[in-house]
Amino acid sequence: MDKSEHLNLSAIAELREVMEEDFNFLIETFLQDSEERITQLKAAFAAADAVEFGRAGHSFKGSCTNIGLPRLAEMCLVAEKTGKHGDLSRGAQMIENIEAEFHIASQLLEKEISGD
Amino acid sequence: MQQQEALKILIADDNDSDRMILQTIVRRQGHHVITAVDGQDAVELFIKESPQIVLLDALMPRKDGFEAAKEIKELAGEELVPIIFLTSLTDAESLVKCLDAGGDDFLSKPYNRIILQAKINAFNRMRLMHQTLQEQRDQIAENNEHLLQEQEVAKTVFDNVAHMGCMHAKNIKHLLSPLSVFNGDVLLACQKPSGSMHVLLGDFTGHGLPAAIGAMPLAEIFYGMSNKGFAMTDVLREMNQKLKQILPTGFFCCACMIDIDFNADEMQVWIGGLPDCLLVRNNGEVVKVKSNHLPLGVLASERFGVETYKFDMSSGDRFYMWSDGIIESRNVEGEMFGEERLNAVVQGCKNRDRLFSAIHQGVVSFIGEGERDDDLTMVEVQMMPQNELGLDEAHLSASALVGPKDWSFCYELRGQTLKEFNPLPLMLHMTMEVPGLRPHSGSIYTVFAELFSNALEHGVMGLDSSLKRSPEGFARYYAERAAKLDKLDKDWVRFYLDHKPEGVGGVITIRIEDSGPGFDHTIYARKKLADNDGYSGRGIPLLMTMCKNVAFNDSGNSVSAEYHWHPEN
Repeated sequence: MDKSEHLNLSAIAELREVMEEDFNFLIETFLQDSEERITQLKAAFAAADAVEFGRAGHSFKGSCTNIGLPRLAEMCLVAEKTGKHGDLSRGAQMIENIEAEFHIASQLLEKEISGD
Repeated sequence: MQQQEALKILIADDNDSDRMILQTIVRRQGHHVITAVDGQDAVELFIKESPQIVLLDALMPRKDGFEAAKEIKELAGEELVPIIFLTSLTDAESLVKCLDAGGDDFLSKPYNRIILQAKINAFNRMRLMHQTLQEQRDQIAENNEHLLQEQEVAKTVFDNVAHMGCMHAKNIKHLLSPLSVFNGDVLLACQKPSGSMHVLLGDFTGHGLPAAIGAMPLAEIFYGMSNKGFAMTDVLREMNQKLKQILPTGFFCCACMIDIDFNADEMQVWIGGLPDCLLVRNNGEVVKVKSNHLPLGVLASERFGVETYKFDMSSGDRFYMWSDGIIESRNVEGEMFGEERLNAVVQGCKNRDRLFSAIHQGVVSFIGEGERDDDLTMVEVQMMPQNELGLDEAHLSASALVGPKDWSFCYELRGQTLKEFNPLPLMLHMTMEVPGLRPHSGSIYTVFAELFSNALEHGVMGLDSSLKRSPEGFARYYAERAAKLDKLDKDWVRFYLDHKPEGVGGVITIRIEDSGPGFDHTIYARKKLADNDGYSGRGIPLLMTMCKNVAFNDSGNSVSAEYHWHPEN
C-alpha cells in the first residue's frame, strides 16, 4: 500500500510541528469526530435527507483536508455534491467507500500517534 | 517578525479537530483565544468577551456563521470587528453569502499558518486605523462643538459690548450678518449728547476669533467717547491708539467713520483702508469718497492723521459705506462684482429710497449660485430732520442721584491747547455730575458748543461765518480755520461755569471770555431766529431761545448766559 495516497505526510509533519504535545490529542479528537460524521451520514441517508447528507459530507471534508487525508476528503466531496443535487441513489455505496477509506486512514493515523 | 500586540480572537467552529488546530495556531502566534462551538455560542461569547477579531465557520448547528456574523456586526456598531470566514466552500454563491453577512475575508482549509498570520496582522492594522479614524472624527466633532460654543459666548459678549447703538434710527439702513463679527465686520452707531450721530463701519483683518477680538475695545471706545460728546477725531485717535497697542503686527481695522450733524447740516468723513464710499445727493450728484488714511491700528499716535472730508448736507442726501465683501463678491465663474457693477447699480437706480435694497439685490443676484459668504456688510446713513430719527433720548437719562450741585469753576484754555484740544467733552462730563441733569446734556452741549465756537472761531480767530453759505465758502472757511488755528499763540478762551440748585432743578451760569478784539453782537442779537436763513450766525439767536439773560459786554468778547433746568420724569 502506498501510504501517501491516503495520508499527506508533509501535512502530518506540519501538524505535528504546530500542535507539538497536543498532536496526539488532536488525532484522537479527529478520529472521534469522524465516527460521528459517519453516523450523521448514515442517519441522513436513512432519513433520505439530502441536505443534511451534503452538509455532513462538507464538514467531514473540511477536517479531512486539515488533517491531510486527500482520498477521504475527495470521497466526502462526492457526498457533499450528491447532497446538493438531491440524488441519494448512490448514497449507500458512498458511505461504504468512506467507511473503508476511514478504516485505512485510522490505521495510518494510529501509527502516527503510537510513535512507530 | 515584528512583535504584534496580543489580540483577543474568537474562533467559532463546530468541528472539534478543526477548531483545535486553529486555536493552537492562533495561540502560538501570541493571541488570546476564545472558542465557540456554534453560532449562538459565538454571539453570546462576543457580547461577554468583546473580542477584536472573529474567525467564523460558515456551517454550524443552532445558528450558522452567516447569521452569527450579521448579529456580531450589528453588536459591534461603529467599531470595526473583522470577521474572517473559515470555509472550504468555493462556489461564488456561498462566498457572496459570506460577504453579505458582513464577512471581511476567508480562510480555507487546510489552514496555513503564514496566511492566517498575514490576515490577522492586516486586519489588526485596519482595525487600529479605523479606531484612530473614529477617535479623530469624534475629536474633530468635539472640537467643532467646542468652537461653536466659544463663538456663541464670544458673540454674546460682543453683542453686549458692541450693541447696535442707535442703528435702529430711521435714517440708517444696514446689512450685517449675525455672525459678522467673526468675519471681522463691525457696524456701530451712536447719538452724541449734541444730537449728532457717529456711525462707524470697520473691517478687521482675518477671520474667526482673531478678527473678533479687536472689535470689543473698538466698540467700547466708540460708545464710551461718543456718548460723552467727544469729537469724532478724538474717538478715532483713541481707537487707533488702542488697536495699535493691542493688535499683533499685521492685524488692523479698515474703517470709515462719519459724524453727521443734524443741526448744522454737515457731515465729516474719515476713511482708512475701506473701498470708496459714496455720497449720493438728493439732486442726483454722486460723490466718491476715497480712503486717504491707513487703517486703524497701523500707525503710532504721533503719525496718525485725523483729517476729514467735510460736506454740507441737505435732507435726503445719503452716505454709503461697505466692507470689501460687497465688491469682492464672486459669481459661479469666479468673477468679482467689482466697482463698475456697483456704480452701474447706483446710476441705474432713480428712486433713491430703493437704492439700498437695489445694491443688495444687485450683489445677491450677481452671486447667484456662487459661494455666498456672510461678509456682505453695508450701511446707508441719510440726512433728515433730527426729530424724524425716531430716537428715544432716554439713553441719555439720569444715573446717579447724588453728586455736586453747588459749585463753580474757571477753565482757561491757551493757544497751544486751543490748537489741539476740544474742552467740551470734559466740561460736559463735569457738568453732568449734577444729579438729574443728564437728560439736558444735548441742550447744554449745544450751548457750550455755540459759545465756544463763537469765542474761538469769531472772537479769537476772526473768521467770517457768512462764508459758510456757499459750498466753496464752506471749504474755504475750514481751510482758513485750520491755518489760523495753527498760528495761535498768546490767545486764550476762558470759561466760568457755575451751578446753583434752584427748587428741584438748578441754574447753570456760563460766562465765556476770549482774547480777541470783540465783535458787534448787536446785529445778531437783533435778528429773530425765524428770519434766519442758513446756518451762519444762527448761534446767538439759538442761544437766546435756550438760555435766559444772554448778555454781552460792550466789546463783545465776554458773553454770559443762564441755563435753567428742571428734572424730567
